[in-house]
Amino acid sequence: MFGFNGGSVPDSTEYSPNRRQILKYGAAAFGVTGLAGCSSDGSPDGGSGDDSDGDTIVFGEPTMETSQFGFIMAGTNQSIDLAIEEINESGGLLGSTVEVSRRETGSDPTEFREVFEQFVNNDGAVGIIRATSAELTPNLEFVAERETPLITNGAGTTALDDYGGDSGTPEDMSDDEWVWRTIASDSVSTAGGAKYMYEQGNERMAILAGNSQGERSWANSFEAAYENLGGEIVSRLEVQNGKNSYQSELSRLFEADFDAWGLSLKRDDATTLVREWNNAGYGGQMIAESGIRSDEFVDAVGEQAEGALIAFTATSGPNYGEFEEKYREFGDAELHQWALAGYDAMTVAALAAQQGGDASPEAIQQNLASVSKPPGTAVSSFPEGKEALENDEEINYEGVLTPTDFTDDGNVVGDVRVAQLTPDGFEDEALVSADEIRDLFTS
Amino acid sequence: MSLIQQGIFGLVTGSYIAIAAIGFTLIYGLVNMLNIAYGEYLTIGAYVGFLAADSGLPLVAVLGLGFVATAAIGWTLTKLFFRPVVEKGPIPLLITSVGVGIVVRNGVRLFSGNELRYLDVGQPAVYRFSALGGVFVNTKQLLVVGTALSAFVAVHLLLTRTNVGIAMRAMKDNESLARINGARVMRIRNLVWLLACGLGGLGGVLLGIQTSASPTMGFQQLLVILAAATLGGAGSAYGAVVGAYILGIVIEMSVVLLPAEISQLGTTVAFLVLIAVLLVRPGGITGQEVTKV
Repeated sequence: MFGFNGGSVPDSTEYSPNRRQILKYGAAAFGVTGLAGCSSDGSPDGGSGDDSDGDTIVFGEPTMETSQFGFIMAGTNQSIDLAIEEINESGGLLGSTVEVSRRETGSDPTEFREVFEQFVNNDGAVGIIRATSAELTPNLEFVAERETPLITNGAGTTALDDYGGDSGTPEDMSDDEWVWRTIASDSVSTAGGAKYMYEQGNERMAILAGNSQGERSWANSFEAAYENLGGEIVSRLEVQNGKNSYQSELSRLFEADFDAWGLSLKRDDATTLVREWNNAGYGGQMIAESGIRSDEFVDAVGEQAEGALIAFTATSGPNYGEFEEKYREFGDAELHQWALAGYDAMTVAALAAQQGGDASPEAIQQNLASVSKPPGTAVSSFPEGKEALENDEEINYEGVLTPTDFTDDGNVVGDVRVAQLTPDGFEDEALVSADEIRDLFTS
Repeated sequence: MSLIQQGIFGLVTGSYIAIAAIGFTLIYGLVNMLNIAYGEYLTIGAYVGFLAADSGLPLVAVLGLGFVATAAIGWTLTKLFFRPVVEKGPIPLLITSVGVGIVVRNGVRLFSGNELRYLDVGQPAVYRFSALGGVFVNTKQLLVVGTALSAFVAVHLLLTRTNVGIAMRAMKDNESLARINGARVMRIRNLVWLLACGLGGLGGVLLGIQTSASPTMGFQQLLVILAAATLGGAGSAYGAVVGAYILGIVIEMSVVLLPAEISQLGTTVAFLVLIAVLLVRPGGITGQEVTKV
C-alpha cells in the first residue's frame, strides 16, 4: 500500500534549477494570470481610461467576463459601444468625446466596490453603467454615498423595487439613492409568469433555485405572486451554484407532487440541470427564469427541454426594430435583453448630461427622470435627443427594451412575454400586460 | 426509494472523484508535492474528450485520448514549471502549483471561452426498477462507475504485479534505499507523473460526459479530491478510493437528508465528516501520517 514519503530526495543533477528558465516561465505565468483581473478600455483608440480631461467624458462599466454571467457581456458591450459611437459621431456629448472604461469584477461585490472607486477616483467617471443584483444589493449604501449615478442594464432584484432614483424630487438631491435600472424588476416578469402558470390550471408548483441573490429574488417573487393568486408552492429547494451535477436535487424535488415547477438558475447551471432532468425522465411542465433565454441555451438543450416556458420583460420598447438593425450591422454579438437595456442605459445617461449642460454626476442624476418620460419630443437615440435639445425642446427617450419611463424609484416597467422553448428557439406563447400584474408585485 | 437513488448518485460522484484522487495521492506520496494545479488536469481531460467526441471518435478512443493527452500535457507542465523549483522545497512547489493552476485555468478560458462544452456520446438509456420504487440508472452513470472500476483494477495490478509498481512502493518507503538498490528514481517519477496526470484527465472526461466541460470544472473538484485523499490516508491510493466514495455518498445523501433550506450544504457536511474522521484517526482511514507536509 502506498504511503506518504516525507523524505523524498530530489535528484540534483537532473532537477538543477535554471534561474533564467524560472524567470521566463514566471513572467509568462504572471502575464496570462493577469488577464483574469485586468482592466480594459473600450475606447476606440485603446487608451487608458484615466484621461478624463476636457475633451473626454468617461463612463465606467464594471465587467464580469469571468463570472457565470459572463455570457451577457459581449452583447452588453456591443450595445454600449454602439451607443457611444452614435454619441461621438453626432459631435460628442457637450462637444466632448465619450469613452467607456471597463474593469473586471467577476460579479463579486467586493471587487465591484473597488472598481467603482477606481472609476470615480482614477478614471474620473461621471456615471457607471451595469451591475448585477449580486454586486449591487450589498452595495446600495456605498453607491449612494459616492453620489455617482449608476444606471444598470441588469440587477432585476426585488431589493430595488422601492429603492433608487430621485424620489421624484430632482432638485432635492438629499433624498436621492443614485441607482437606476433600464431593465424591469424580476417582480414584473416573475409575476407575469406566475399568473400565466396559474391561469393554465397549475395549482400546485415546486421551485428549484440557486443560492445567489438574483436567483433567490426570482424565487421569492414567483412564490409571492403565485400564492397571491391562490396557488400553492408545495416544495422549494435551494441549490448550490456551480455544481457539476444536480441529480440529487432533482430527485428530491420530484418526490413532491406538483403540476409544474419553476427553475431559477444561471444559464450554465440550468443547462446542466435540464440535461439531467431530461436524462432521468422526470417530466413536468417547467417555467424558467428569463436569464436562460439565449441561443446557447437553445443549442444546448433546445430538444431536451422542448416545451419549457420562460417569462421575460417584453421588448416593448417603441424603437426595438430600428435598434436591432443597427445592432446587427455593428457587430455579431448575441442580442438579448441586457444588450437592449445596455443601450438604453448608456443613451439615457448621455442625454441626461446633455440636457443638464454639464457632464457631471449631479447633472446626470438630476436629469435622468426628465429625459426619460413624457412630456417632450419622443427620441430614440442620442443624436435625435441632442438635436431636439438644441432646438430647446423637452425630450422623452423611448427605449429599445422598454419605454424607459423611470419611476421615482428609478425603475422601468414593461409588459411580460411568455415564450415556449423549441429546438429552434423561443416561440411566443402569450403576452401579459404590466397593468394585469402590478398588484402581484411583492414590494 | 430516495436513499437508494441517492446512493447510486453517490457512487457515480465518488467514481470520478476516486479516479482523480488516486492520481493526486500518487503525486503526494511519491513526489512529496501538494499539487494544487491537479484539478486542471480534469479540465484538460474534459476538453480533450470534448474535441475527440466532437470529431466523431468512438467512446473508447475518447477516454483513451483524454488519458494520454492529459498525461502528456501534465508531464510537460511538470518539466516546465515544477522541476525547476523542486529543490526549493514543498512550499515553493505548492505556490508554483497554485500559479500553474491559475494559468492553465485562464488559458483554457481564453482558448475556449466560458461556454459549457458537452461531450456528445449519445442520449443515455435509462433503466428503471419499479420493484425499488422507481430507482433508475442510466448508461452514462454505468459508464462512469464501470470505467472507474476498470481504472482501480489497472492501478492495483500496476502497483502489485509489475516491477515499476514494486519500485514505486519501494520509493515511497525509502527513496534513498530504493535508489541504492537500483531503482531508477527519475524514470519512476516520470511514470508517476504520467499516470497521475492521465488519471486526472480520465476523471475529467468522465465528469465531462456526466455533466459538461467548463474552464473551472476541475478547480471546483480540487477540494473534494484533496479531501478524499486526506480522508483515505494521504499517499494511499486505496485509501483515496475509499475516501472518495465516502465523500461522494455523503454529499449526495445530504441533499435529501438536510432540511430544504440548507440542502445545498452537502459538501459542507462531507467536510464535517472529514474533520470528524481525522479527529479520531489523524492518519485517515488507512492510517497514513500526514503530519510531514
